[in-house]
Amino acid sequence: MFKLNKNLLISISAAAALSLGLTACMEDIMPSANATPSLAASIDGGVKYPVKDDKTGPYYVNPQVEKQAKHIFNGRIPTEHEYEEWNSDVMPDGTGLPEGEGSVEDGEEVYESKCVMCHGDFGSGGGGYPSLSKGTAYDLHETLTNQRIKPDMDGPVRVFGTYWPQASTLWWYIKDAMPHPQTDSLSDDEVYSLVAYILNINEFEIDGEEVDDEYVLNREKFLKIKMPNVDGFEPKIDGPEGRANVRKYFSNPDNFGAVKVKASERCMTNCQEPTAKIVYIQGAGISDFHPPMSVARDLPKEEPSAGGFNAEKAYTESCAMCHGAEGMGAPVVGNKAEWAAYTAKGMDKVYTNGIKGTDAGMPPKGGTDLSDSNFKSIVDYMINKSK
Amino acid sequence: MDIKKSQQDLESASNDEDSNINGRRDFFRKTAALSVTALAGTSLLSSEAKADDPAIMEPQKWGTAWGDPVTKNLYGMPSKYEHNVTRRYTKLLASGNYRASIAVTPIHESSGIITPNGLFFSRSHGGVAHIDPNEHRLMITGLVEKPIVLTMKQLKRYPSVTRTHFIECPANGGQEWRGPQYNSLQFAKGFMSCAEWTGVYVKTILEDLGLKPEANWMLAEGGDSSKMGRTIPIDKVLDDAMIVWGQNGEALRPEQGYPVRLLVPGWEGNLCVKWLRRLDFASEPWYCKEETSKYTVLKPTGKAIQHFYANEVNSTVTSPSPEIDWTDLEDGDIVEIEGLAWSGMGTITGVDISFDGGNNYVEAKLKGLVLPKCWTRWSYMHTYKKGQELILTSRAMDDAGYIQPTIDEETLKVGVEAVYHRNAVESWKVEKDGKITHVQIRSQLDRKPNGELVIEGKV
Repeated sequence: MFKLNKNLLISISAAAALSLGLTACMEDIMPSANATPSLAASIDGGVKYPVKDDKTGPYYVNPQVEKQAKHIFNGRIPTEHEYEEWNSDVMPDGTGLPEGEGSVEDGEEVYESKCVMCHGDFGSGGGGYPSLSKGTAYDLHETLTNQRIKPDMDGPVRVFGTYWPQASTLWWYIKDAMPHPQTDSLSDDEVYSLVAYILNINEFEIDGEEVDDEYVLNREKFLKIKMPNVDGFEPKIDGPEGRANVRKYFSNPDNFGAVKVKASERCMTNCQEPTAKIVYIQGAGISDFHPPMSVARDLPKEEPSAGGFNAEKAYTESCAMCHGAEGMGAPVVGNKAEWAAYTAKGMDKVYTNGIKGTDAGMPPKGGTDLSDSNFKSIVDYMINKSK
Repeated sequence: MDIKKSQQDLESASNDEDSNINGRRDFFRKTAALSVTALAGTSLLSSEAKADDPAIMEPQKWGTAWGDPVTKNLYGMPSKYEHNVTRRYTKLLASGNYRASIAVTPIHESSGIITPNGLFFSRSHGGVAHIDPNEHRLMITGLVEKPIVLTMKQLKRYPSVTRTHFIECPANGGQEWRGPQYNSLQFAKGFMSCAEWTGVYVKTILEDLGLKPEANWMLAEGGDSSKMGRTIPIDKVLDDAMIVWGQNGEALRPEQGYPVRLLVPGWEGNLCVKWLRRLDFASEPWYCKEETSKYTVLKPTGKAIQHFYANEVNSTVTSPSPEIDWTDLEDGDIVEIEGLAWSGMGTITGVDISFDGGNNYVEAKLKGLVLPKCWTRWSYMHTYKKGQELILTSRAMDDAGYIQPTIDEETLKVGVEAVYHRNAVESWKVEKDGKITHVQIRSQLDRKPNGELVIEGKV
């Protein structure tokens, strides 16, 4: 997030005022001697292959490019409107966070109509989508030291309230990328209300005040949110030392579970702990592979289909996730009464709702790019299965 | 350990190999001597009363009639007999409708170091977007002297570079921190692929835009519905990060971010943002959704590693594998054990192979091209003994000085809840009948009152 300055745009288009070129900057980012043992070290703890004799590692490079790149400007300067249209990020200090407000009550309403089908009741999760809460964030934060080293142990709870270091991430993510099948469709106030609701189900406090069912969130209050796990991450990436911290952290293999050794000193005999045993896959393991595993060189089996389109297969792939189980908010295939209530309104209405989507959570064509006729044949299949 | 095999056993095994080779040489010498006295050299052919192979004896339809005209399949397709060589998915790794999901590469069927574009693993956070390249724009803004917006045509006018790099999801192997789960190479290690990429270095474009000295971080953001974003330090941006549009000699596939993606060589696949539409530069990091809620490594201390970039040195045996086993081998057959090694921190310098689950190692041989941050093939010639149980374990090293840890070494440091960045050695057990089973060699862990992980029963 960077505020674009109108005067800057004018001044840079006026002349070649590029006093701060890339060369100066590259010197600036060269690691200081106390941070890393070697200039060739990369920030990630690995090696770099600097250009030498017109080669980087095994690859030749054209030395003319570096000399002339300063004079290539193949595009144009964006307008302020264009920049603002895409500049939607929200940073932890509130940069990019618009004014607005939303209540827990309104948030619950939006949640029930647009979110519950994937994230479950009270954010409990389901269908492979993330849980948003498992209860009181402050208590469950304590579970982050849990390690399931034995089968009967509980694991750590990693949800928004217990794990995420910054609340800004939640606001930004909901605004840009939720609801999943229809992104960028919520107003700023709706996002505030959803964030308020998610804080509520995580049983948050803001500035000593409980985010209860009556709570109304706004920008000012949002910026006072203290995440329980704000100090739970390493290395520290904020501030002027951020990059140096990262470099230092990854220069010590012990920090991240890695092992460094001289090739001549590596273990060649008796390298395992005497306590190490063979551990086999428990039960059948995971073998739910699609398509089923095969290395046969045979001709593919013809799949049964009517008119080249297999409605049952398409239903299984694209619709069963919401329509195949109770609790996802969608009419369940096989539930005669539920479907009869829809078909009573006429098949045209059922088709239209399916194709255009509904506020109750049905994404247009279920999020598929099927033709109208193929989509209708899936609807027919689902209704036939529910008679 | 159930299977003990000392260095001495291995040496005697290799002596056996020598004697076996000599035995064959003797056979050919004798046969050659006999053939001198024969009339037309046909004495080398078998006169045993075996049934002749109809694949040879009978004319085949493809050998006696026209094939397709060249006008058919103007974009070529694999043989229909190869239909089982596909990406695969499992419900375990998917959101309900397979939009925030992954389909993984059949590396048991891969040859060489290049993954064909149709088999390159596919991971998205909001489904595979299909972008009209004429309507796609890339905007570069923030702490630069001169921001820019580029059409695809303008972007591709920049001087290009071509590099061969793997891309790996840091969750490769991430389901197996607490024990093996997949009896499958495709699922145990197939969250990665390798390709030759063509694009422009980000630093080449920045030469002209003029990066400001206070710029520390770059935001890369996709134009797909998930607006996938990641924060990348300037150090890497100015080293080898690329904006790529070419993959193995053609345009990127939609699954790889057509028309344009970021490539951050050696680093977590999710940093290589697909459908790239925006680069922004700032002095402070962004805290994108996927760099906090996911792609962080929770340690036993309760602290999590954030901004864990590079995929560390790793390797696997690809042949044999649970998918392609040794049940068809005869006693004494000489067979190549083959595998892949890779490191996002540098170049592979060597691979060792163990026959007893990583207790004792011998050196394997690298083969083919050995390139930085790229799949590297390795090989070891083995004489198969019918009925002999083995546990094949490979261990790679790179030029940054890293070596793959044992499972005990890795889990003692980062625990079993890390999800990402598992690079401990992997083992295949060769069963008596030649079938291959995925196993792990590890100790039971215990916990001290202060929370530190220790090996149970270790004195």
